[in-house]
Amino acid sequence: MRKMIAISIAAGLLIIVADCSQAADRDGGAQLAAMCASCHRLDGGDGGIPTILGMSPEMLTRTMLAYRSHERPSHIMRAIALSLSDEEIATVARYLAALNRQVRP
Amino acid sequence: MKSWTRREFGRSTGAMALAGLGPRLAASESKARVVVVGGGIGGATAAKYLAVSAPTIEITLVEPKPNYTTCFFSNLYLTGLCSLESLTHGYETLAQRHGINVIHDSVAAVDPVAKTVGLKSGPKLPYDRVVVAPGITFNYDAIAGYDEAATQVIPHAWNAGPQTQLLRRQLESMEDGGVFVLVAPPNPFRCPPAPYERASLVAYYFKQHKPRSRILILDAKDSFNAQDLFLDAWERHYRGMIEWLPAQFTGGIKAIDVKERSVETASETFKAAVANVIPPQMAGQFAQQNGLVDQSGWCPIDPITFESKLQPGTHVVGDASSAGDMPKSAFVANSQAKACAFAIAAALTGSERQSPHLFNTCYTFLSPDDAVSNAVSFKPVAGTIKIVDNFGSQVQESAETRHRTAREAQSWYTAFTRDTFGYAAF
Repeated sequence: MRKMIAISIAAGLLIIVADCSQAADRDGGAQLAAMCASCHRLDGGDGGIPTILGMSPEMLTRTMLAYRSHERPSHIMRAIALSLSDEEIATVARYLAALNRQVRP
Repeated sequence: MKSWTRREFGRSTGAMALAGLGPRLAASESKARVVVVGGGIGGATAAKYLAVSAPTIEITLVEPKPNYTTCFFSNLYLTGLCSLESLTHGYETLAQRHGINVIHDSVAAVDPVAKTVGLKSGPKLPYDRVVVAPGITFNYDAIAGYDEAATQVIPHAWNAGPQTQLLRRQLESMEDGGVFVLVAPPNPFRCPPAPYERASLVAYYFKQHKPRSRILILDAKDSFNAQDLFLDAWERHYRGMIEWLPAQFTGGIKAIDVKERSVETASETFKAAVANVIPPQMAGQFAQQNGLVDQSGWCPIDPITFESKLQPGTHVVGDASSAGDMPKSAFVANSQAKACAFAIAAALTGSERQSPHLFNTCYTFLSPDDAVSNAVSFKPVAGTIKIVDNFGSQVQESAETRHRTAREAQSWYTAFTRDTFGYAAF
């Protein structure tokens, strides 16, 4: 019985920890995505500047790294990509991919 | 929760509408309150991102005007390439979608001890933090003969709206063969490439409609932003049409004769068919009157939170702030406002704040289908803000690249104003 309680407390803790890190990830992602919103419409709309919704986190991450290495040329994206850490790129990529699922046409 | 719309405000008098403040504030007295003073790019962005990142904070935006017309892209309007309506944005979405109390009134004073923002019409709005985004004002003492009254004859056109309309009418009624004299200000001023973009687009307009006309730029400086890109474009597109005279050549701008429509420099007086005087600038009047300004004429701030170094609890974003290497541009105002909003949200709600990412991006038109871009990243260093990276267009770029940048610029305008005034999904 005691063991079961211990296990359930541990499980509860795990859930809390997961919730916290998800919340932090969401807050961090939102703050980083705010930066993207200065140029990219985050409502699915497009124009001379392409939409960044609808890409998988992996694709977004690869694209950002290509801008950072200058493999893809863009003054603006290069400056942005260089200012972000690998972890920040992964965070914002996850956030944007999740945002895409929420945006209604 | 219901928030005011401009339409509802229009139906009632200011005083009646403000009477409605009481119950709403009483009902939510325990909530943290932020008042944002000024609804330009910095103020509108700060209000929106406070609302987005901290739904539990009550946010009030105070702005006298019902709409905001962007100064960026107004050079396109000036030369007939877009309408003023397309550059004008309302506050309805910030109110309706983001639940921000938008009050169209002027602010008399901030009381940093009582922590209230006093409105001209009487009421005092209590706050936990106040964000001030007063933009710029002009130093009319700097050039003899040029004051506020003179702007009705010789516009500065450095705030978009009636001033830009006046300058456009003057350019339209100017006879072919006339000289357009543009007086460019000393640093620092709002939007460093803009006087030279204006010269470029007016030259484009002259080329189409008044090909014998010329442009003379009388500069208070000896060099200017992106000079090599402009000189190259003027040679390619407008050969012989634009003359730039630096301060070292003229000895500097001394006086304006409004009646004669002439500009006197230390060496020579130049007569204009149409004149455009962009005076030296400093932080907006509100900042001057509320103890936010140091001897530089601008507002010193903490580089991470944008809290005033002179008035704790008051944050200053946008053109009025003195933010190290960051230039005075709409993009910078938007970038600073986001960093400031996240810092305030963290302070008031205990949420986590990421380290701020500060940027400037700039699109400049050399002709309608020849545009250049520039991107700079910044970071807080030792109490100020320093440039980290700076990438920009080069003189030798292909016409195709320039054309693509012009298309990108138009797309940027839409995204950026949606971001600022709240109608993006985000």
